[in-house]
Amino acid sequence: MTAITIEPPKVRRRFRKSEPLAIAMLACVAVVCLIILALLGVVLWLSVVEGSPGVEAHSYSLNNFAEMLTDHRIANVLVDTLWFSVVSLVVAMAFGLPAAWLAERTNIRGKTLLYTMMTIGMIIPGFAAAMGWLFLMHPRIGLLNVLATRTFGFTSAPFDIATVVGMGWVQGLNLAPLAFIMTAAVFGAMDPSLEEAAQMSRANPLRTMLRVTLPLASPGIMAAAIYIFTIGFAAFDVPVIIGWSNRIFTFSTFLYLLISPQDVLPKYGVAAALSTIVMILAAALSWWYGLMQKRSRRFAVVTGKAYRPKLHKLGWAAYPAWAFLGIFFFLSTILPIVLLAWSSSLPFFQMPSAMAFKLASFNHYRSLPWDLVLTGVSNTVILMILTPTVTLLVSIAFSWAVIRSKIPGRAFFDFIAFLPHAIPSIIFGVGALLVTLYVVQRAIPIYGTIWILLLVFTITRISYATRMTNSGFIQLHTELEESAQMSGASMPRVFRRILVPLLSPTLLYAWLWIALLTFRELTLAAILTSGDNTTLPMVVWGLWQGGGLGQASALAMIMLAAMAPLIALYWMIARRTGLMASS
Amino acid sequence: MIRIENLRMSYRSGGAPVPAIQDVSLDIEPGQFYTLLGPSGCGKTTTLRCVAGLEEPDSGEITVGDKLVFSSNQGAWVPPYRRNIGMVFQSYAIWPHMSVFENVAFPLKNDSTRVPREEMRKRVLDALALVKLDAYADRPAPHLSGGQQQRLALARALVGEPKVLLLDEPLSNLDAKLREEMRVELRELAKRLNVTTLFVTHEQLEALTMSDVVAVMKDGRIIQSGTPAEIYSQPRSAFVAKFIGRSNIIPGRVMDRSQGEALVQTSLGQIRCRDGGTGNEVVLAVRPEDVKIVPTGTPGADNVFEGHVERSLFFGECVESVVRVGDVSLQLRLHPQDAPTGGDVIRFRLPQKRCLALSADS
Repeated sequence: MTAITIEPPKVRRRFRKSEPLAIAMLACVAVVCLIILALLGVVLWLSVVEGSPGVEAHSYSLNNFAEMLTDHRIANVLVDTLWFSVVSLVVAMAFGLPAAWLAERTNIRGKTLLYTMMTIGMIIPGFAAAMGWLFLMHPRIGLLNVLATRTFGFTSAPFDIATVVGMGWVQGLNLAPLAFIMTAAVFGAMDPSLEEAAQMSRANPLRTMLRVTLPLASPGIMAAAIYIFTIGFAAFDVPVIIGWSNRIFTFSTFLYLLISPQDVLPKYGVAAALSTIVMILAAALSWWYGLMQKRSRRFAVVTGKAYRPKLHKLGWAAYPAWAFLGIFFFLSTILPIVLLAWSSSLPFFQMPSAMAFKLASFNHYRSLPWDLVLTGVSNTVILMILTPTVTLLVSIAFSWAVIRSKIPGRAFFDFIAFLPHAIPSIIFGVGALLVTLYVVQRAIPIYGTIWILLLVFTITRISYATRMTNSGFIQLHTELEESAQMSGASMPRVFRRILVPLLSPTLLYAWLWIALLTFRELTLAAILTSGDNTTLPMVVWGLWQGGGLGQASALAMIMLAAMAPLIALYWMIARRTGLMASS
Repeated sequence: MIRIENLRMSYRSGGAPVPAIQDVSLDIEPGQFYTLLGPSGCGKTTTLRCVAGLEEPDSGEITVGDKLVFSSNQGAWVPPYRRNIGMVFQSYAIWPHMSVFENVAFPLKNDSTRVPREEMRKRVLDALALVKLDAYADRPAPHLSGGQQQRLALARALVGEPKVLLLDEPLSNLDAKLREEMRVELRELAKRLNVTTLFVTHEQLEALTMSDVVAVMKDGRIIQSGTPAEIYSQPRSAFVAKFIGRSNIIPGRVMDRSQGEALVQTSLGQIRCRDGGTGNEVVLAVRPEDVKIVPTGTPGADNVFEGHVERSLFFGECVESVVRVGDVSLQLRLHPQDAPTGGDVIRFRLPQKRCLALSADS
């Protein structure tokens, strides 16, 4: 009798947690979550600790908060910051919202040009725009002011850009393209038959607008407004270029002053306490933002029919509409660039005149501190390549964990990934500074290298990148992956052959956008560079602070020129993939 | 009630204009339930939207009631909100930021249509009662089921007591059972309120059961209109014969024709039939349910043929068999008692009155 051996059934469920790739991705997600929490945790911890970090003996108290409350500057800074953000928001919406409505809801001609203008406007670095506006409206040297006092006999300068409202104006112009993109998406996602139904219910166009279009769009517009307000609140470029030398601080620049003052010891404790307060504010704002987003999505009904929304006929109103758009583009982009170019070609800034044109030369370009510039270029290029690559790899792992895996606590990962969006990035910079300088400097000496920049740049872009990869994953039907598994593909193969190719338009788009943001990133670089790891925007700022306005302008012009092909590439990809959006 | 004359419209998508409606004319009597039926892309929805005023045609004329709402010659244009037309959209277009009551009250709150509070309340509740939604008045509109949303859209379209009601595939998003109920309900409601209804659908069953008049559209034209029975039994083209119900289409050549009858040579043999075509090249249309089985062994007669059964599908109330005669396959719809099985050889008759010769060109 032959013994019948029954083989134990080889049940091996695919994609179990024992898959090496799955383990690697979950480990990556866990490590990144820990880093994010550690950076914020050290700030929270320091806010309740007395004495300098690094000192062994420390005690817990609320003294930092007390010191913060008694510092009269802080109240001023918070009030100024709020004003600054409100003005930026109002300016951004005043230009962005009508432009979005024109682009999505009217038959205005030249929509491609409109989108191109907005794309360019969105990528112009805040510091470059701020420098341009300072040349125009500086109380002493600003072109407009010189013109006004000379020609019209004003005794004092009529315009002063170095005020909270002035800075808000510049920041608002810089954020208007973002307001445009976000609200255009809201108008575009609306079900046109909802408006048609109002017309069939005998509502005239005005009433349709007031009772149906606006109420339906308002959560989306509100969400965009909160988002833009948050960016304005955390803004660094514009306040540091325009406000710094005039002693007008907003949250980010004041925090920078606290941790790197020129004359006294850094006040890390107070900085941490201030950051804690702002974190609470940020949490409240992002909760509100989430609420509005949810409501907005509920209103965006997907119809079966592919009827495009009925476009309002503008008729003669197209002329004032384009005049409005043209003025915006002139103010936000052309004017600052022209002034930068003018400043970069003159030995010292002055009014255009026959004399001035004779003096114009490329001297500032030639006399740039090229050693420093080349260090900046090589660091910036390395970061521009590595930051988006690492960010996207981490984000794919996050999205897989959050959307495809069934592990418990995956919603928590998504929440952590969202934190860098909610909390001003400068706080992460401060956290990274403290951790690397005082906690792990011996074990991991990355302070002063570009790796710390890479780390923090990556962390702060994860929110944006995971939003992109999340929606990419959601749009891909699970059965596409499952059928690949049933065809015998292992998990790495499914990623390589199915997921990454299908996600590639999204990934390419997000890669370029993050690369562009990295190119112009000043906030985090200001906190974390110290000599060798300097970046291009830091060199520009350094020249500016040192009084080399012409040289700073020259280098900013070089940066803008270098961005042009990247913007063109980004624009082409954005058009092809139909994606276009926010930081 | 609705008159359309020589309506033309094309869409400009990128380069060349794409014609959507090419010369549509129709006349709808007051109180009539008129259906535009056709495959997707035939221009039926565009025609409806032109009547609504949501699209502006290139040329032609549209009259609603005694009001000229569009005329390219006279330059007349009445915007949609002044046309006094009720409309139900395919997606229902229920405003998600309003309650059920507010959705229905909306048409009564325009400057031109404002009514006193009490009357408005009464009319809204009456409209909701009409569609059996009066119990849901205070619900947020998104909390309704698909069928309820559909009825809400209907109440909103009817609350202003329009003379004309437009229905844009209102049943296509409902499940089969609900659709069957709503077919009956919609027609009865329209008849009870005596509202002239223009209905757009691609479902022939809906068109046949609900309409007073069906107009079949193809490529932006109305190719035939008439009562459902006329359309079904006297199609004027092979397209209509195939699109409304199903038909066996057999190409052939007229040998002889007189007094509405024709003798057609086909690859089956000679067939006597009704003559509905012109020219010598024709197609014969025979509906599957009209083919009659005759016992094998009976002597040959006109229109009787023999073929072998390729397969039979059991549907419960009937059996559908595919029978091959030479190079022609015919579909037969038979009572289960008569059902042959695959491989059988059967004899069948194509009744002369039920065979229709149609012009071959379309």
